[in-house]
Amino acid sequence: MFFQKGKQPSGTWGVILNATTIGLQLVTATFIGLATGYFLDKWLGTKPWLTLVMLILGVVAGFKSVYEEVKRIQEYERKDSGQHSGKD
Amino acid sequence: MVAGGLPHQLVPVLLHELGVPVPPHIFFTWVVMAILITMGILVQKRVSMVPGGLQNFFEVIIGGLEDFVVANIGEEGRKVFTILATLFIFIWFNNLMGLIPGCDASTANVNTNAAMAVVVFLYYNYWGIREHGFGYIKHFMGPILALAPLMFIIEVFSHLARPLSLTLRLFGNIRGEEIVLILLFSMAPIVATIPMYFLFGLAKTIQAFIFFMLTMIYLKGSLEHAH
Repeated sequence: MFFQKGKQPSGTWGVILNATTIGLQLVTATFIGLATGYFLDKWLGTKPWLTLVMLILGVVAGFKSVYEEVKRIQEYERKDSGQHSGKD
Repeated sequence: MVAGGLPHQLVPVLLHELGVPVPPHIFFTWVVMAILITMGILVQKRVSMVPGGLQNFFEVIIGGLEDFVVANIGEEGRKVFTILATLFIFIWFNNLMGLIPGCDASTANVNTNAAMAVVVFLYYNYWGIREHGFGYIKHFMGPILALAPLMFIIEVFSHLARPLSLTLRLFGNIRGEEIVLILLFSMAPIVATIPMYFLFGLAKTIQAFIFFMLTMIYLKGSLEHAH
């Protein structure tokens, strides 16, 4: 079921896998950015600024990992369709 | 205790009464370890060319995982295959413990998952440094040199998000399934839970596989050269 050679798990479960990966990456990266900024602010005493900057950078990091994930899925799909039609 | 298991286990409570204060998730982790070690010894004792029941089972799982890893990472994947297979089998058995009445999945506790996620995080960075030396920092720099300081912070954030998302994904799914089982059992015992057992048996396998696959993707990223 899962272990086809060189493929991702396909069908419904494959889609669920990709969906949870993308969603959680976005949320956790944002959260990590916010937490880093908050504690740096506490440490350095620059109250709102670092929190804001790091929050934005965290959001950017989240979108970046979503972008990379989508590229990875596209590559797999390209490989799969290439196998079916017999060309690379 | 942060986010402990659901209060329905018999043995840990009994142990607690006897004066052995072991938290439930630690206890069930030990149970799974004991099961796996015993199975390993049993299989290893009677390895034959024509595999019997238990050996057949492990050969299918480990052979399938190895094909998958080698097809995705390449021949280099064999270097890290042991920890990947261990993670999959360990998490899978831990998840399935939650389906046994009176037992609890130790992966329904944040602490177990966080421990495994931190191990994965340290392990793939270790391989990155071991393979590339100081050049591993190129993985964090992005393609354009002028943007490197900005990209470095962003990359560090997205790398730190990985263990957190690994932890939360496994915890949320397994814990949620345990809660649903308990709720359904309290509403309509047996009748409502039996169909859910099939669904959750599949879902728990999928969760173990997702953890395994994401670890594999991270290891692949740190083993290959920076783009």
